[in-house]
This record gives sequence, C-alpha cells and structure tokens, in this order.
Amino acid sequence: MPSSTSNFKDRLRLPRLFFRKPTEAESVHGGPPLEFERPIPQVPWRGLTVIVVLVVIAASMGWEFYCRSIGYAPTLNDNEDLWTLTRRKVKPESLVIIGDSRAWFDLDLDELQKGLGKRPVQLAAGGTCGFPMLADLANDENFHGTIICSIVPRLFFAPPGSPPMERGEKVVKRFRNQTLAQRASQYLAMPLEEHIAFLKQEELTLDDLLQRLPIPNRPGALVPPTLPPYFGTEDRERRARMIDQCARPGSELARRIQQIWLPLFTPPPLPTYIPKDVFIAEMNEATEARFRDITTAVSKLRARGGKIVFVRLPVVGELEALEDRIMPRNAIWEPLLKRSGVPGIYFQDFPELASFNCPEWSHLSAGDSVEFSKRLVPHLRTALGM
Amino acid sequence: MLFNSLTFIVFFVVVVTVYWSIHSWTTRKNLLVVSSYIFYGAWNPPFAALLFSTTAMDFWLGRQIGKAPDRPRKRAWLIASVCMNLSMLGFFKYGNFLLQNFQWLLARIGIAYQPPHLDILLPVGISFYTFHSLSYTLDIYRGVLQPTRSLRDFILAVSFFPQLVAGPIVRAGDFLPQLVHPPRLKVGQFLWGLALMTLGLFEKIVLADMMLSGSADRVFSYAGPLIALDSWIGVIAFAGQIFFDFAGYSTCAIGAALCLGFHLKDNFRFPYAAIGFSDFWRRWHISLSTFLRDYLYIPLGGNQVRPLRAALNLVIVMFLGGLWHGAAWTFVVWGLLHGSYLVIERICRLLFEDKAWAGNFATRAFTGFGTYAAVCIAWVFFRSSDFTIASRMLGGMFGRHAQGDAILSTREILQVVLVTLGLIAAHCSLRDSNIEAAVTRLPRWIVAAAWALMACAIILTQGNGNAFIYFQF
Repeated sequence: MPSSTSNFKDRLRLPRLFFRKPTEAESVHGGPPLEFERPIPQVPWRGLTVIVVLVVIAASMGWEFYCRSIGYAPTLNDNEDLWTLTRRKVKPESLVIIGDSRAWFDLDLDELQKGLGKRPVQLAAGGTCGFPMLADLANDENFHGTIICSIVPRLFFAPPGSPPMERGEKVVKRFRNQTLAQRASQYLAMPLEEHIAFLKQEELTLDDLLQRLPIPNRPGALVPPTLPPYFGTEDRERRARMIDQCARPGSELARRIQQIWLPLFTPPPLPTYIPKDVFIAEMNEATEARFRDITTAVSKLRARGGKIVFVRLPVVGELEALEDRIMPRNAIWEPLLKRSGVPGIYFQDFPELASFNCPEWSHLSAGDSVEFSKRLVPHLRTALGM
Repeated sequence: MLFNSLTFIVFFVVVVTVYWSIHSWTTRKNLLVVSSYIFYGAWNPPFAALLFSTTAMDFWLGRQIGKAPDRPRKRAWLIASVCMNLSMLGFFKYGNFLLQNFQWLLARIGIAYQPPHLDILLPVGISFYTFHSLSYTLDIYRGVLQPTRSLRDFILAVSFFPQLVAGPIVRAGDFLPQLVHPPRLKVGQFLWGLALMTLGLFEKIVLADMMLSGSADRVFSYAGPLIALDSWIGVIAFAGQIFFDFAGYSTCAIGAALCLGFHLKDNFRFPYAAIGFSDFWRRWHISLSTFLRDYLYIPLGGNQVRPLRAALNLVIVMFLGGLWHGAAWTFVVWGLLHGSYLVIERICRLLFEDKAWAGNFATRAFTGFGTYAAVCIAWVFFRSSDFTIASRMLGGMFGRHAQGDAILSTREILQVVLVTLGLIAAHCSLRDSNIEAAVTRLPRWIVAAAWALMACAIILTQGNGNAFIYFQF
C-alpha cells in the first residue's frame, strides 16, 4: 500500500517536470552562443565607488545639518499613500474628519476623543477639496459613522479640474488603486521621514529650491501663485501641528505666509478663450452641480444611519475679508446647510470659537488647536445629537 | 514595482544579495523567476497569472513549431501563437477602442448602437511581454532558434524583471543563451551596472519628472490657445521628457541586468542627434524598431520590392508601430507621420544623394535640425489625448494664436531650454560613440563627480514615485 509520503511525492511530480534541472542537451537553446556582451568601461571601479559613496554620504549629512540649522525638523510627508494608510483605518462606525488644512491643523484628535468618545480618523488634507472624500465615504456601503467636514468655500466648491479638486480626487483614487508596492514604499518611507529633516516633498526638493530663484516672469504670464513654505509637522495619524517659528505672533514666517494666502485665495483672471458670460454661467453651473452632489452624498450617508456636520473653522485678518468677499456666507454657507439639511457650526457665531488668532491668518497654532477643539466639542455634540 | 521607489531598492538589494550568495545556477534561476513574478505581482497579483498563461502557451506552441515536420504545419502553429498573443493584446488594450470605432462606423450608416463599456484594466507592460514571448515562436519558425526544453528558462526569458514591463523588448534568442552557463560575479560589471542604474534614475527622476514634465503637462492640459513660445517649449519639454523617461527606464533595466550578470542590448543610441528619420529609428526604441523590421517589414518584402510597395510597407509598419503605443487615433497619426517622414526621406535620398553638397556639414546640420523639429511635431499627436488638443497645439506652434496666453514661468522656460540644449549637445557629441567609451575616456575625477552629482540630485529631488510613461503602453 503506498504511503501518504509517496502519494505526496507523486503529486509533486507535475510541478517538478516544469522546474527540473535540464540536461546539458536540453540546456542548449539552439542558436549560436551569445555573441553580444556589453562593454564595461575600463576604470578602477572599486576606488571610484568608494569615493562616490563617501561624497554622497558627506553631502547628504551636510545638507541634513544645514536644513536642521535653519529650522527644519523631521516630519512625515503628507502624500496620497499616507492618506490611504489612514483611510484604511476607517471602520464602519468611525468618526472621520474630512476637508482642508484648517481641519487638519485646528482639530486636536486627543480632545475630540475625550469629548466625543471616539478617536477621530484624520483625512483632511492641505489645499484640498473635501468633496471627493465625502463622496468616497458616502459611496462606501460599509461606512455608517460620523463625519466632521470642514468647509472653506473656495476649496469645497472648487470646480472640476481645479488643483484642490484634483488633489481630493487623487487621494481617493490612490485609496482605491494603491498597489502592494506603493503600500510597502510608504511603510519604508515613514521611518526615514521621521528621522531625516530634508525629506520634505513640498519644501526641500530640488524643484522647490529652483522655484525660489528670483527670476522675474514675463508681464501678463498666467503663472500659478506660489504655495506656502513649510510651517507644520505631521505624525502617523496625520495630525498636523504648526511649528513654533510660525506660531510666534508677528513672526517673519507667519507674515510671509500671510502674503502668500492672498494671491492663492484670489480667483484667477477670467480665461481669455471663453466669453465672459459663458464662463460665469459654467462656473455657476459647477457650483449648482456641487450643491446637488453634496445633497446626494449626504442622503446616501444618512440612509445608512451615518451622521455629518459641516464646520467653518477660524480664519482672520485680510484673508477672512477676502474669503467673505469672494464667497460670502449667504452665497455658499447658508444655502449649503439649507439644501443639504446638515447642521453647521460657523466659528463667528460663537464668541468662544471666534476669539482665536491664527498666526498666519488661516490656521491655529498647535497649542490653540487643543483649546479650540475642547471648546468645539459641545457644539459638535449638539449638532450631532450626541 | 517602480524602479524609482523605495520598495524596489529593498527588493533589488535582497534579490542581488541572495542571488550572488547562492552557488547553484538552477536555484539562482528559480530565484529570478520568483522575484520577477513578485516584481510584477506587486502591481496587480491576478495579472501574474495572465503573464504565466501567455508564457506557457508560447512555450508549448514553440515546441509544436519545432516538432512540426513541414512548413505549412509550422505556419499553422505560428499563426496560433500570433493569434493568441495578439488577441490577448487586442482584448486588454484595444477592446474599448474597437467597440467605439465600431459604434462610429455604424452611426455613419444610420445604425444607432450603444456598445457596453468594457471595464478592462490594462495589465501593465502587456505590450512588452507579449512581444518578448512572441519573438520566441517567430524565431523558431524563422529557423534562427531551437525550442528550449526548459519551461523555467523560458518563463525567465519572458518575465526577467529588469525588462519585464517597459522594455527593452529582449528577444528570447538573445536571452535564452545567457541561461546556459552561470555568469560570474565581476566587480567592474556589477559596479558599472549600479552606475547605469544611477544614470537611469537621474534621467527619470531629475530630468524627466522634475525638470521637464511640469512644463509639458501644463502646456498640453491648458484649455485655451497659447502663444508660439509656450507651445514650442511645451512640445520640446515633452520631447525631452519622453526620452529621459523611457531611456531612463531602459538604462536602469540594462544596469539591473548587468548587476545580475546578464547583458541587454541598447534601446537608445542618442536619437536626437539623428540625421534623417531612418537614422532616428536606428537610435530610438531600437528593440521595437528592429522587432518591427525583422518580423513585419522584411516579411512584407522590405525594400526588395518596387519603390511604391516599399513605401507602402514603411507606412504599414509605422501605422502598426503607432497603434502598438496606444489605442487611440492620435497614436496612429503619430505613426503615420513617421511613416510619411521615412517615405519622404527615401525620395530625397533618390533625388539628392549623389549631389556634392549632400554630405557637407551644413546639409547634415540642417537635416539633423529638421529631423528634430519634425520629430517634435509628431510628438504633438503622441502627447495629445485628442485631436482638438493636437490642433490647438499646432496652431500655437505655427503662430495662429498671436493673442494667446503665456502660462510658463521664466524659470520653467529656462529649465526646458537648458536641459534640451544639454541633451542635444550630449547626443551630438556621443552620436558615433557610446557611453562606455566616453566613461573610459573621461578623467576619473569627472566620472566620480558626475556619478556623485547624479546620486545627490536623485536624493535631493525625492522623486514621488511617478510611473514611467511607457508603462501605459
């Protein structure tokens, strides 16, 4: 009677046929032996490699010391892979923060956890339209948790094809299509980013350094406005904190960023290639479509028992005036609450929320974000019926 | 897995270390097979099964061709292989394109037909590995290769990870003989492989992605008319971007293969120094152009037929070459443009080759410049996602939008101009040589400085893992 071992060997025979060692005759794959061989430059490779490695290590260390000396500290890069990693933490009943950088900087996860009983998952991202995130969660059949959605009208109502909208779509797309290799790269990158200060994708890359060259542009050139420099750190939970150099009242960095927000938030000139009235009609239609899509997304979410609250977080100074001018409260915020039926918290409506100062006009300092979140909790509880 | 990713660095270090520490050649080859499938499966694991099935089928069909006693039966097996490979390619790559065109044709004769949209995910690198695999059965049929008895070796020939997803298209006949005897670890070869990988990554991360792609993307995605300067800068930026992107991948592949003891042929030979279009195609994507030459152009009769037929052959080959790049009519127009260029060049040769001035410096320089300009014009169709964009771009380039917009910053323009001048200067100076000879000739300190500078620039640029353009083909 054959033993179980011999049966096992018999079963293995088929694969072994494929992977057996070929005989010498079998190994000769016909044709002439390979005549082509790449030339190898005749240089002393060992010595050369040692020199190159030493130079690269020395240059990297020098750059690292320099970056630290001018105020940069190691922090994670906020990219779509980190967002995806965080998005994967969303459970059916999670408390999720979505939206723009104000929610990212201003909401303290510890305080919200203390006040709301759940640790929030931070999905808000800098310069990003939060609508693709809202649609993503609304279309996620498993999700029936709670959403805190930050509204900066200029970003949340950014038209299709605009940079804030594309950034929002990009992170959601990465969440859906992330490959194993991309995921592995993110896990490998995080320990490096947490220890090396110059690994900042949006600040210290060669491209960013070239952008800082003071080269004047042609008159009339439609060049995109400059993005703000590094002013925050981020941890693995995607909690952003403003750095001290920016948080200091009247600091040079904060003043520099203030002057960057203004052109960034100012609508670009009307395109020359479309008649003005056609363009305005298209933009109005895009806004109308966004209202409809938000209402649809909210309905889907609520149908599964999910909850949502819109939050307008602090903004001060000339930026507040600019925002109020280009997208006034009665044009966006009020209709948004009315049409979607979602409760909203507008910081200006509550003295305890409106009394904070944003050092660079748009975000709270790390210290203030803790106190602000503590004061926001009762409003959130009321709005969410908790 | 992308070459420009941390995952690949770790993967490569592990594979190379284990590979060279194993004594048994069979085990090493098994390791490479497993590594290659991990490399490929890291994108989308189910597609690894598709890769395996194509490979296994061609292995079997190759044996049938080899065993068939006469030409007609060999041909029948070859047709089976060609049909299998092209139908796989057709389904995944051209399914929706064919349906859309079928719908358009029916609409022309008054039949309203709404085809279902096939939600087909294109397996990465399918155009490349299909050709790797197809070259095997084609070469057996042509009698230049005997079928291999080892499926494992054939799997490795098709799926060898450095060249798997974006070329060079390595023919089985060039690779299988390298699997007979184990390569020895040669320090110079290994380190030169690393240097080539550094050069390839520098081309991709620093030059293609950082210096050029931004301008090209902004110009081609701008919805309005642009003035001539911005239009040309955008096109020139794309011409540089696609070269550095694709040549960078090929250089990385050649370097990675060298580190493992394998030799892959050049895929690019300084194409922007080409004088004439046939010269360009002897220098650009050489593995594809020689593939099309040997398996399509020559079987069609090549230039051993009447001039008109030879011209038609050229156009057919370039038409299919265009279609190989993507399922869109813009790629077809790109291919047809190059086909027309080649025909015009042939006519010019017939008319002017014997003239005294034909070979002088000024003529050569003018022809070289004209070749570059014409290649750039063809790139407009390659890069544009539809003919509206292509026509707007060409309008801008040829001065139809004098009142158009200017959207590039001075810095971007300077970047594109400087990189392009450097690229063309490098190509012109190396046009009749190769990089190995140049490195041997250069003073050692310059080689070390260039290598270190490229490595530092890669670290400083902190590439964000952009996919290579040719992955989509």
